[in-house]
Amino acid sequence: MRPGFRIGIGAETRWDGADRVGAKFAEFAEERGLPAAIRRSVSVALDELLANTIAYGGAARIVVDVALHPNRLSVMLIDDGRPFDPFGREAPPPPPGTALPVEERKIGGEGIHLVRRMMDDVRYERRADRNVVVLTKRL
Amino acid sequence: MEITTRTQQDVTLVVLAGHLDSNTSPEAQAALDAILAGGGRKLVIDFSALEYISSAGLRVLLGTAKRLKQGGGALRLFGLNETVREVFEISGFATILTVVDTEASALRGL
Repeated sequence: MRPGFRIGIGAETRWDGADRVGAKFAEFAEERGLPAAIRRSVSVALDELLANTIAYGGAARIVVDVALHPNRLSVMLIDDGRPFDPFGREAPPPPPGTALPVEERKIGGEGIHLVRRMMDDVRYERRADRNVVVLTKRL
Repeated sequence: MEITTRTQQDVTLVVLAGHLDSNTSPEAQAALDAILAGGGRKLVIDFSALEYISSAGLRVLLGTAKRLKQGGGALRLFGLNETVREVFEISGFATILTVVDTEASALRGL
């Protein structure tokens, strides 16, 4: 069986849930000896997507499924919230205001831009009544 | 996340350890707000024990940088690991915030 784990977040846990997933992933990465750079990038991506879903998705349950393959790490996030494709809008490269000075700079949409850039592949599909996001990071 | 602060003359040095993400950013925000409320105008943040930062953490830094700038203060960061640096580069923060390599260069001329 391939190494991996599955962890669920219920509506009642919310923010603690995202933290629990992060801690579980860090533990798994440690056990498997994943390079620190990979562990950190995936941790950022997990935080961005979970934070979005928890804040806006209206999901009662989120499941995160991590699978380690010989040359890639695959992270699947499944939620039962409103249909929403986080990658649906083309991220303008560079994101709005990237070059603005600090006084004029606003934050928004940064999270998804980070996920796109830090992962090797990002996919979304609506499967029955679930949102399914799959992230791939090459090892 | 662990946040420790110490002051050196009129400079407040903040050490952020762990991760600055959606879960920990309110805590970091509160700590930085308290420094500013206490009159701190020159801030140096030590990132060398910070594993990673997500956009929630970037928001905290940006808000703090804006307020310091309005009040004629300064914010300098040092000790970024490769992942934090990558996040800064992708988001454009590497050019809008003052990032240096060492504590000594952060303190120089502040």
